[in-house]
Order: sequence, then structure tokens, then C-alpha cells
Amino acid sequence: MTGEVIYEIKNASKRYGSVVALDGASLKIHAGEVVGLVGDNGAGKSTLVKVLSGAHQPDGGQMFLEGKEVRWESPRQALEAGVETLYQDSGLSPHLTVSQNVFLGREITHKGILGWFGFLNKKKMEHDAHRDLEAVGIAVPASNRAVSQLSGGQRQAVAIGRAVAWAQKVIILDEPTNHLGARQAGEVLNIIRNAKAKGLGVIFISHTLPHVLEVTDRIVVLRLGRIVKDAPTSEFNGDTLIGTITGTIQTIKVEGD
Amino acid sequence: MVDSKQGVSSPKQSSEVGAKISRLLQNQSILLVITLVILGLFFQWGSNGIFLGLGTLGTVLTDWGSYILLAVAQTFVVITGGIDLSVGSVVSLSSVIAGWVLVNGMHADASITGSAANGYLLIATLVSVAVGMIVGLVNAFLINVFKIVPFIATLATMGAAAGLAIIISGGMPLQGPDNHDLGIDWVVGGVELPMSTTVLVVLIVTVIAGLFLHKSRFGLYTFSLGSNAFATRAAGINVERHITKVYVLSGALAGLAGAYAYIRLGAGSPSNGMGMELYAIAATVIGGASLMGGVGRILGVALGTLVLFTVQSGLLMMQVFQVSPDWKQVIVAILIAAAVAVQTFQNKNGRK
Repeated sequence: MTGEVIYEIKNASKRYGSVVALDGASLKIHAGEVVGLVGDNGAGKSTLVKVLSGAHQPDGGQMFLEGKEVRWESPRQALEAGVETLYQDSGLSPHLTVSQNVFLGREITHKGILGWFGFLNKKKMEHDAHRDLEAVGIAVPASNRAVSQLSGGQRQAVAIGRAVAWAQKVIILDEPTNHLGARQAGEVLNIIRNAKAKGLGVIFISHTLPHVLEVTDRIVVLRLGRIVKDAPTSEFNGDTLIGTITGTIQTIKVEGD
Repeated sequence: MVDSKQGVSSPKQSSEVGAKISRLLQNQSILLVITLVILGLFFQWGSNGIFLGLGTLGTVLTDWGSYILLAVAQTFVVITGGIDLSVGSVVSLSSVIAGWVLVNGMHADASITGSAANGYLLIATLVSVAVGMIVGLVNAFLINVFKIVPFIATLATMGAAAGLAIIISGGMPLQGPDNHDLGIDWVVGGVELPMSTTVLVVLIVTVIAGLFLHKSRFGLYTFSLGSNAFATRAAGINVERHITKVYVLSGALAGLAGAYAYIRLGAGSPSNGMGMELYAIAATVIGGASLMGGVGRILGVALGTLVLFTVQSGLLMMQVFQVSPDWKQVIVAILIAAAVAVQTFQNKNGRK
């Protein structure tokens, strides 16, 4: 069951030069809810993700986290406020180890001299990374391995695990099941269900519509930078979802925004 | 459990010895030590037994100390995926400005000798480092604000710094206090040791830089930036600020190399750093750093610099058959190509 509205974006717009990437998009995410965000290539999904995660600043519109208006100047601010994001294909530094990636930006250091020269506490981070990933439901071979030595599925698991382990309020997953086999994708969907059970608001972006239909509570359809449909997942089936995405099924602007 | 089994079991290897050897050969530092040993033995034979000795070691360290500083500086920059072409010109400019301050600002001349000169040389060092940091700031500014790729940004400052060095010095060396008899070369019982205060400073700086690169948060961000800048930014790290720090560090170390050149050569000259950036980059690549970013070790780079020195000094001492020292450039080129080929080979075997 879903709770209060935890994250909201109102009337967001974003242009890149003459290209309108987002055109008055509004979206609400409740605690303990999985919202599917779908749309064709170029519909504005990635832009919306970047605005929600603080990577880009919108040209117009407002954002609210737990009812309080927020403005992200950088991804750091969003992270510190409890909004985690898994970016499509580019979330990890391949030359770094699993634990270095899990703790990137939040390293644990030894005390050092007067707070200076505090070297990284490698052992503790390796131990904690392993523990945190396991708690989320991910078993990675060794946290001192370079990410470049992992398989595509393992990399994706580490990226998702990191996001879920750190997320306090909201987690945004951009194409988390991309490049994964059926079994691995099923495991990712389970991780999403666990995150939902923890009371996180989950935004799930995917081209794989069966996954969206399977795991989400509500589906939001973007077309040409606008939100053209926002309805409970139960109102869709595979055909109507595709029709809505491509525009062959006429949609009325959602009420109440 | 997402894909937990795959890749856990050790890859099948034909024999354990083969596996051990291939693992050793994956390690750039071990390859470099082997190379050094082979080169040392070769030159020992070629020089009729005079190459391997404390004298050569002292000469090598003294002559090449400033190159180690530049290679260390370059390592940080290269790991971020950038490059700093301005370091050679910074050596020239910083040593010229240090000389200018001492000669024109403080009226220090060659009559100042011995320990009386030490205070002046300390000032020269501070001025030199400050000049390097300013050039580093300019580099970072061009890269961060104008989004100029590091190669072009530092090519511009390389030219500007070299030009300024000629303008300020009038094309002539600025001399200042006498560099002889400063107590920087260590002599015990009349025998000169292969060590001096300047070399000691270089070694200490190298060790600290190594700890900084491989053990600190600063170093981790340096690797992460070169590995995936987007992921680094997404992890909440201020990428622009980090780039600034790295180029200022590079400038500072180049400035220190300028001070080293000024103290060793006894003059600030616009030709002090000419062409040094290419040796620094060569040492970095031979030492195993990747110009694509994300890869590099200070130990490897220090060894890479030693390999370069050994070739240069060794060729000069060849007696069994004469080799023109002009061959050194060709040999350095071969070393660079070999280092990159080894890296490619390692990558192919390391990550399938």
C-alpha cells in the first residue's frame, strides 16, 4: 500500500537550444510506490531523470520532497536529501573496485592527523560494501575487484545495489534491466519490490514493457516532453500501453495538475 | 542474487606456473624492474664495467630529479584522462621568475655563497612553486570554464609560459647566488655520496605523492574522474573543483622542478625546461599510466623515469661499440611504443 506523496515535480520544462526536452511535466511519487516512466526514444525520460536527480537544472517548474520545495544545484544535494539515482549504463567507474564505487563520494577514512591526511579505510569499506549489497539482495564475488572485471549483469547489480543501499526516500532507476538476461532481470525486479517494501518511492524507467507492467503500481507515459497519461498499472495491458506510448491511442491530458 | 556465480570460480588455466607468470607479467612495475635489470647489465657490459656504481646512480638521480617531479605531476593529470603540456615551459618560466626576483628584486649575486645563499634559494623555491600554481590555475580555468580540451588548453599555456620566460629574462640566464658549495650535495670524508638535499626532496615528494594518489580520497577521485567523469559527478563529487586541484598540483610540482633546475644549474634560463614535458609524458606512459585515464601508479612512473634515465646515461658510457647519443631519441620512442603495446596486451588478457 502506498503512503504520502514523497517526491513531486510540477510543471517542469527544459530546453536544449531549440529542442524542447520537457514541456510542463508534472509527476507525483508516493512512499512505497513504484511508478513506471515510459516513452519512446526522445520522449524526455532521461531529461526528466536528470532533473529529478539534480544532474540538470530545469528551466521552469517546481520540485517538492516530502512537501518541502527543493532546488538541486548539483547531484550531491539530491543525494544528501535522500534521492538516489541509477543512470542508464554509466553509473559506475570501471577502473575502481566494487567497494570504491559503492562508497564513491561517501568514503570512510581513518582519523589521520588533526583530520588531515586521513587515508581511506579500505578494509572497512570493503567489508561494509559487501554487507550492504548483500542486505539489498545482491551477492557480488569480492568487493575488492575492479568493476571492469565483472560481467554486465554483475555491474548492473552493483549499481542497483549501491542506489538501493544508500537511498533514504526516493530511488530513480533508469533502464535497470537493460542488457540483462531473464533470470537477472527477475532478480532486479525483486530488488525493486524490496525497495518498495522498505517504503521508498521508486521511479522505474524502462523500454521493457512487460517488466513495467509486472512491477509498477502506476504508469506515467511521456511523449514529446509531455506527460500524456498517468494511470494505475491495472488500467493498462501490453497493447494499450504501446498504443499510448506511440500515440496511436488518443489520450486526454490528465486532470488535477 | 544477481549473477553471483559467474566469474567467481577462477578462470581455467593450463598450468599453475603459467598462471603465476602471466599474473606477474600483468604487473607493470615488475616488468619495469626486469627491464631495468636487463638494461643495467647490458650497459655494465657495454661500458666495460663502469656503468653500475654509486657515481652513475648519483649522476642519474641529480640530473633527472626534476624529470621525476614532472612525471609524478603528469601521472595525476593523465589518470584524470587529461594531459599537461605546459610543465616544461613552467620549469623555464618559474626558474626565470625565481632568478628575476633574486637578481632584480633582492640584488643577490654570485658573491653570496655557502649557507648564506640558502635563504635566497628557499625564496626562489617558493616563488617558483607559486608561479607553477598560477599556470595550473590558468589551465584549470581554460578547461573548466571554456571547456577547452586539456591538450589544447595546456598547449596554449605552454606557448605563453615559454614566451613569457624569454621576455622576462631577455633571453639570457639570470644567475643569482652561487650554486656551488651550498651543502646540498652530501659529502662524507671527502667522498661525494650519490645523494643531495635536492634529490632527497624529490624522493620525499614522490613518496608523499604516491600515498596521496593511492590511499587518499583525493587520489580516489582522480582515478574515478578518469574512469567515468559522469559517474563521478553523479556520485556527488565536484568534478570542476577536482580538475582545478589536479592542474594546480601539476603546476606546483612543475614549479618545484623549476626551483630544482634553478638551484642545480645556478641560473634561471628560458631554456631550462625545453622539451621536458615530452620526457615527463613518456615516463608516465612507460610507467604504465593510460592516456585514456583511470590507470596509473606512482611506483610504475618512478620506475619508468628510471628506465629513461638509464638509457640516456648508459648510451653515453658505451665503450664496447660506439653509439651516438643521438640514438637516445629513437630508443625512447621504441620504449614508449613497447610500453603501450604491453598495456594493450595486458588489457586484452586482463578483462576479456
